[in-house]
Amino acid sequence: MIEPLLNWLDETTGWRKLKATLLDRKIPKGVNWSNTLGSLLLFCFGVQAITGMLLAMHYSASPDHAYQSVQYLGSQVPMGAFLRGLHHWTASAMVVLAVLHLMRVFFSGAFKYPRQMTWFTGVALLLVVIGLGFTGYLLPWDQKAYWATTVGSKIASITPVIGPWVGKILKGGDTLGAVTLARFYSIHVLVLPALFVSLVLVHLFLIVWHGIAAPPERMKQEPSGDWKAGVDRRYHDLKEKGVPFFPDIVFKDMMAVLLLFAVLAALAYFKGAGLEDMADPTATDYNPRPEWYFLFLFQFLKYIPGKLEAVATSVLPGLAITVLFLLPFLDRGARRHPLDRKSWTGLGLAALGGVVFLTVQGLRSPDVNVEIPKNPEVVQGKRLFAELRCASCHSIDGKGGVVGPTLDNAGSRRGKDWIEEHFRNPQAMTPGSKMPNFKLLDTEVEALTAYILSLEGGAYSADAPKLFEDQCMSCHMINGKGDDSGPDLSLEGKTREQGWIEIYIREPEKIYPDSAMPGYAKDLTQPQIEDLARYLAAQRGTKGSVTRVAGAKPAKAAKKGKAALGPKGEGSD
Amino acid sequence: MSTVPPNKDPEPANLLDRQVDRREFLKLAIFGAGSLLAACFGGAGLTYFLSPAFKQKQDAWVDLGPVGDIPQAGPVKMDYIQRQADGWTTVEGRSSAWVLREDLNVTVFNPHCTHLGCAYRWDDKREAFLCPCHSGVFDKKGNVISGPPPRPLDRYQAKIEEGRLYILPGEKAS
Repeated sequence: MIEPLLNWLDETTGWRKLKATLLDRKIPKGVNWSNTLGSLLLFCFGVQAITGMLLAMHYSASPDHAYQSVQYLGSQVPMGAFLRGLHHWTASAMVVLAVLHLMRVFFSGAFKYPRQMTWFTGVALLLVVIGLGFTGYLLPWDQKAYWATTVGSKIASITPVIGPWVGKILKGGDTLGAVTLARFYSIHVLVLPALFVSLVLVHLFLIVWHGIAAPPERMKQEPSGDWKAGVDRRYHDLKEKGVPFFPDIVFKDMMAVLLLFAVLAALAYFKGAGLEDMADPTATDYNPRPEWYFLFLFQFLKYIPGKLEAVATSVLPGLAITVLFLLPFLDRGARRHPLDRKSWTGLGLAALGGVVFLTVQGLRSPDVNVEIPKNPEVVQGKRLFAELRCASCHSIDGKGGVVGPTLDNAGSRRGKDWIEEHFRNPQAMTPGSKMPNFKLLDTEVEALTAYILSLEGGAYSADAPKLFEDQCMSCHMINGKGDDSGPDLSLEGKTREQGWIEIYIREPEKIYPDSAMPGYAKDLTQPQIEDLARYLAAQRGTKGSVTRVAGAKPAKAAKKGKAALGPKGEGSD
Repeated sequence: MSTVPPNKDPEPANLLDRQVDRREFLKLAIFGAGSLLAACFGGAGLTYFLSPAFKQKQDAWVDLGPVGDIPQAGPVKMDYIQRQADGWTTVEGRSSAWVLREDLNVTVFNPHCTHLGCAYRWDDKREAFLCPCHSGVFDKKGNVISGPPPRPLDRYQAKIEEGRLYILPGEKAS
């Protein structure tokens, strides 16, 4: 029944011969688990291709939507966060596996006759993998993406002679922006994958053509005469005694793949891919760090004086890649065992040690800037504020229109609920208001309200001014009250946000290592520190904002002995 | 009481006793591992890809203004701008609806023909909705007069609150 069908398929495709060539081929004995690395890489590429196709369904390659689309993908699409996590971790795994694969081939001399071309395509594949990593992490358009790419393209542009052109071509212009993102996206999803597939096909063909290299054997000295025929004969003998590719080798590959997938899936599920704040070209409090696999280069640059920058960024890496490429021409002959090629083995180990050392140093090096957690709602609100052109009528910090009221202290003046209702229906809250009804979505109302409240760091309790009096006034003053041995804090809210102040009160040395101020982590509770930070963030010199407390008048709240945390929506004027 | 038979069967009939061939075992393991992988990865991928099919559409009531302002002579086309989430963006989409008002009795029609979705218009002379695509004709209550439309015009849910008309586009009136 099935036999005629199989025969017909064989007639039309020749699959039996193909199967014999691919699956029944013999593999020399002694091929061990380290030989599964190539299969693992192939599997990883498959995972990247499939997850990549799926991720692209919810991605928009433009700076005004890229970040939002990645956010949407991670929060609104079932399995979106998991698949993005898988893509992220598999990318890292590919770099690790590619380097391990290269090391195995390097140390076992498997790149030697007759497999030089396999080596060339392999090194090219490694470069493609690195290129995929570099172009891939710009795509979410978060802070990491933006700043790592800024540094990366700057590095490209200080290459001697051709640098300025390389930089421009990479970015698609002079600045990092919409053109860069579209360009990187095209390179990431079209150019490099096409290159990868072409190279892999050649690489795989060569592997089947030459057969998998047998484990290296010691050779006392370099054979003379027609040593290539000797190598061929020896390989033929080993292969005869070998095991079939299917199922013996495939079994090992499959088990390794299963283990790898379990690890990657666990990382994707439990750790995910992470998304930092949206790219902000004006940010000065961010610590740009590349993906960890570029960290050794990043760290290396710290030791290089500025004048020699190009040596470190392009000359040395260029030299390393050239040596790697030309290895089969440099390390020739029949002797493959690492102990028979001591100088190359030593060089390889030294390079590996250097990369590991620099990576560890890079991971250990402390961040210059303190990370200040941002409220994503506030960030979104700020963006909406600009998008809806609210500043045409309202001012913040003295900037903006005068048609509507200034918003610096709207939070304490009106309270959260009032502001939310006002956004939904301005005329209902303020009859005769000229403010248009934007018909905002609920999420937009919440974000805008969070932003308005954040302008003074949110509402503080009645205890906050008292706390300030007890704890801070011996050094600081607000509006002329207090001591002037420390900085005057009357306008603190104009220059610092609540998150910064909060960290500073808790651990001043984290922000200024030689700060004279003592930390209050022990003396105050975390809610007290937050309250105090909100109070200080409200010090903006705006008329009336200094003594106002959300929800209730300070004296009243204090009398009742109740801290009125959280606004109640009673406008106090 | 059963006794042990004196002569054991030389060939065990139980197939489980037979040693599984090593090659067979490897093949089975490869197939098993492959299936497990395909199930996990494929499951996640398919859930992701097919998820739009299970997504609930979230509609919001649209304010079409005071009911009193709507003319009563015949159906009127009312345009509105609805701010709505569209994937990861927010758009101010322009849409319209046909509104038929008889005092406080308001019927709101989906502006697309029930045949293949073309936009129809009201013809005052013929007192009918005319579809330009395949000549579908509806009366002012939305009933099919002639042509290929399979059912009367679809209606939107509508409500009047404090004298203003609100509609829920995308949902048929129940």
